[in-house]
Amino acid sequence: MKQGQQVHQDTPATGFIYNIQRFCIHDGPGIRTTVFFKGCPLRCAWCANPESRELKPQLMIRPTRCMRCGRCVDICPNHALYYDQDGTVRIRWSLCDQCHACVGACTSGALEVIGEAMGVPRIIHEVEKDRLFYRNSGGGVTISGGEPLFQPDFLLELLAALRLQGMHTALDTCGYCEADLLSLVLPEVDLFLFDVKHLDACKHREFTGADNRCILENLRYVAAGARTWVRVPVIPGFNDSPEDIGAIADFAREIGAEKVSLLPYHEGGLAKHAQIGSAACSLHIDVPEESAMSSLCAAVETRGITVTLRG
Amino acid sequence: MMQSADAMKGRLVIKAVRNVRKGLEEDEAGRGMYRPGIKLDLQRSRLITESYRQTEGRPMVLRRALALEHILTNMDIYIQDWEKIVGNAASSPSGLYFGIDMNWRSVMRVVNSKEGRDLLDDDGREELAGLADYWKGRSMSDIHQEVFSGEILKYWKLEGTFLWTHWAELGIPDYEKVFRVGLKGIIEQAGDKLAELDREVPRDYAAKKEFLQAVVIALKSVVAFSNRYARKAREMAIKAGEPADRQRLTTIADICSRVPENPPQTLHEALQSFFILHVLRYLEYSTVGIGVRFDKVFGPFYERDLQQQRITRDEALELLQLLWVKFHELGLIYSPTVTSIYGGAASLQAVTIGGVDELGRDVTNDMTYLVLDTAGSMQSLEPSIALRYHDRTPDSLLDKAVDLVSTGIGYPSFFNDKALLPMLGAWGVPASDARDYAVTGCVYMEIPGKNIARRVIGGISLPKCLWWALHQGMNPLNNEQWGAPTPDPRTFATLNDVIDAYLEQVRYFYHRINTIEQVSGELYEHYLPRPYYSALLEGCIDRARESRAWAYPSQVHPMCIMLGTTNVADSIAAIKKVVFDGKKLTMEDLIDALDRDFAGCDDVRRMLLNAPKYGNDDDYADDIAAEIHHRTQEVVASFTNRWGCRCRGDGSALSATYAAGAVCPATPDGRKSGESFADATLSPSQGRDTNGPTAVLKSASKIDTVRTYNHLLNQKFLPSMFEQGMRDRFLAYLRTWGDLGIAHIQFNVVERATLVDAQQHPEKYPDLIVRVAGYSAYFVDLSRGLQNSIISRTEQSF
Ligand code: SF4
Ligand code: SF4
Repeated sequence: MKQGQQVHQDTPATGFIYNIQRFCIHDGPGIRTTVFFKGCPLRCAWCANPESRELKPQLMIRPTRCMRCGRCVDICPNHALYYDQDGTVRIRWSLCDQCHACVGACTSGALEVIGEAMGVPRIIHEVEKDRLFYRNSGGGVTISGGEPLFQPDFLLELLAALRLQGMHTALDTCGYCEADLLSLVLPEVDLFLFDVKHLDACKHREFTGADNRCILENLRYVAAGARTWVRVPVIPGFNDSPEDIGAIADFAREIGAEKVSLLPYHEGGLAKHAQIGSAACSLHIDVPEESAMSSLCAAVETRGITVTLRG
Repeated sequence: MMQSADAMKGRLVIKAVRNVRKGLEEDEAGRGMYRPGIKLDLQRSRLITESYRQTEGRPMVLRRALALEHILTNMDIYIQDWEKIVGNAASSPSGLYFGIDMNWRSVMRVVNSKEGRDLLDDDGREELAGLADYWKGRSMSDIHQEVFSGEILKYWKLEGTFLWTHWAELGIPDYEKVFRVGLKGIIEQAGDKLAELDREVPRDYAAKKEFLQAVVIALKSVVAFSNRYARKAREMAIKAGEPADRQRLTTIADICSRVPENPPQTLHEALQSFFILHVLRYLEYSTVGIGVRFDKVFGPFYERDLQQQRITRDEALELLQLLWVKFHELGLIYSPTVTSIYGGAASLQAVTIGGVDELGRDVTNDMTYLVLDTAGSMQSLEPSIALRYHDRTPDSLLDKAVDLVSTGIGYPSFFNDKALLPMLGAWGVPASDARDYAVTGCVYMEIPGKNIARRVIGGISLPKCLWWALHQGMNPLNNEQWGAPTPDPRTFATLNDVIDAYLEQVRYFYHRINTIEQVSGELYEHYLPRPYYSALLEGCIDRARESRAWAYPSQVHPMCIMLGTTNVADSIAAIKKVVFDGKKLTMEDLIDALDRDFAGCDDVRRMLLNAPKYGNDDDYADDIAAEIHHRTQEVVASFTNRWGCRCRGDGSALSATYAAGAVCPATPDGRKSGESFADATLSPSQGRDTNGPTAVLKSASKIDTVRTYNHLLNQKFLPSMFEQGMRDRFLAYLRTWGDLGIAHIQFNVVERATLVDAQQHPEKYPDLIVRVAGYSAYFVDLSRGLQNSIISRTEQSF
């Protein structure tokens, strides 16, 4: 199993972070700040954040914001950028080598770099800002991604620093990693938000590109040692039958997870594929109906475990 | 028999003024200034004119008292078939109050214009013209125009940098005293003082005597007025068919013959006494607001009634609901210019709940909850509810308040004692008085029963001051030197040069608005004494001096609405980022782009928009915002009112942030000409706060209330924030707002899609209420531009 490489720079270590979002109210208890790690070992067909997958900064282009000044076209050393008929800027991704010279030239926000190397102190500075809100709401910091375990050294360093600050921490993970690593992380995390997509190994491999055996083993291990919420993205045509969801609920209850959260599929990721030059998933996924979600919630509840919708 | 909440709601008469003017141009005038059926009531105008004709040449304070007496003796009174609390200021429930003694010209214009034609029929128009004949040269605004000359007259006209207004005089009578001694007790007190005058014969004997005589006339006529309702109710009771109805009318008769003359014994009597006194404040003189600390003042009556089993909770709730209907009957006519500022408002009535008493103890009682239940069941425009928050505000109260917030009604708005008590202290208000503060309407803070010079003197457009600083006070369109001749901005070498020039312009214009106000204060003292209201304030009878002839010694008095501070702060931050730090533009490039309203300079505008903005918990912008707030108030405080008290800004924004923006050219924050300003003193510019609602609070907490004034902050949340599981987070958010010591917060809870749909299909949303500024309004009564400005407020959703 391949781990993400830590980019070795001078100490202090940095990690690739693509967003730090405040007032997150669906990522664990209370009011939280979520730190999004960049880089992920899975390739889920429904991915809502395709810009989070690669472990490196990436150009993102949003032509609707373009003011047609043309500066980027002039500056690009690889002639990757060009105008379409109405003068809006476009890109040939095959020519782009991610030098990001164009981004500095653009004042409209049409060109942006996603992902940035950050040190622990900067992240701490950012998450400290809402400390009062965490205290009053029983909230804290959630580390999400991408996949935080994909940058293990940096993750451990960040968790240690958060512990030192007395922050409540939640780790949102897909659970795809070496068991050894989890044993290091486990004592540093207050709550695991553990994603489970499917119990069936074949289906899991088909839709995420990875085996689920180690994931489920890791979940069993985590749930035995820490507070754990199982999070299930509900993807019509993949895992939205009451049987599939019910089986996950049974498993979650059996291993001692606290609750199951159902996260209905949304189309937020679709537009982003084109913006970063990645191939969108070819199959069409419907957004689940509210009524279907309610019956899935009921299916989980009858299994004797608490269920919440969206977080 | 109890009356249902739906029946109560059906009785609400909507007298909100529609926002018919976009800035100063005509806009959507065709639809009428008020809802159909609302009429201008001429009765008070008729009676005050009759009285004034008879009293010419007599001392003004006596003339005012005699006029009040004439009105109260002769005006039509009514008791509707459901009323249990009675009192009316207009001759019918659909009538609008009109102070002809203040200003008749703008009202004449209104009733002769398309938007106001339906307010009077042709006979009414003719009668009004006749009455107006008498007031030519005699109304307050006539007197103003005659007195002013030179500089003052020049700057009095509305140019867009500031607006001085007659309007919005507030004040909270000492209800607790009236409840202790009755009007009877106050009349006695005036009598004793008169006897003392005769013994001591001071130098200003005549003036004092006239004032005290006026007090006695006014208060006796109020007692007689109440007795008219008692007589009427008794007559109606005799004719009443239903026993229940007879009982209702007999109770009214009993109560009205006892109060306000005597101290009330029951909650019902206390509410009746209060309402008559409230109506009287409107009848004596054009005024707005309420301000009573409802739970503190009425809670003890309610508690005693409950203990003695004289009332059930449902019966008390019904009384409050009926009172709420009566509040709605108090609407007034606005001048067209003022509709741009008060768009969607009726008479800005607010009641205060929560907070601490004079000894610092939490006042929450059963009445606090009853007020929230009343508001929840009525969902009415007025009264708005101001909830005073402090560290010991019970969770259960906050929880109940959040229930009401989640309905989208826009109140309660929350006032933070943690910020406001120290502020009042810094203004020279003694601690025990400060602890009793109440909110009359919007964010107007007052001390009940104290002689506060209660006027909002108008508003000043701070971005326009910055614009003058970028043009050396010279209007580039006509080369007129209108502002201060500050240095050439092309020579500015540091950010401080920009700020200094801006502050110089603020000083220049504030000087002018304050001068107008000083002179006006003197005129008000001469021509518009308020003997009735003075009698209900602490200190007037003791001094034998009318309320306008002296003042409670504190900075709490003169307030000027501060418009667009956020836009100035964001502009200065952008100049720092782009011109002085980034060196991407020169001052010349910047001013050139502004003068062209960014035409052909999209990239300049982009650069400015991309600069750090207040509201994101980013010190770069927030430190500048704090500095601008603090230093602007320092300039304002360098002026004093006619009592020598320092002047101060005020966070009440009304819809003026929209109206003033409409006449302000482009500004360096990237705002285009005519665009609305940020909607309140602590609010970020619309859509510029991108780090979420916690960041907004953190930014707002960097503005020091003690160094500035009472602020206003709007936040917009999605209804889903109040669903199960999320609500607790909202409560925690609110508690943190309290911990951060931010002066104020209020919430709009509505989906953007709903507002957009309501704009397109107003007929589907007759009851959709939104928070405009310190008051709520029916969305459909607002002009399209103001609607857009509300839609564009950032929606906090994650
Ligand atoms: S990031 Fe890509 S598009 Fe931009 S300048 Fe470099 S090569 Fe050209
Ligand atoms: S620099 Fe930005 S705004 Fe200008 S053409 Fe390129 S993408 Fe468009």
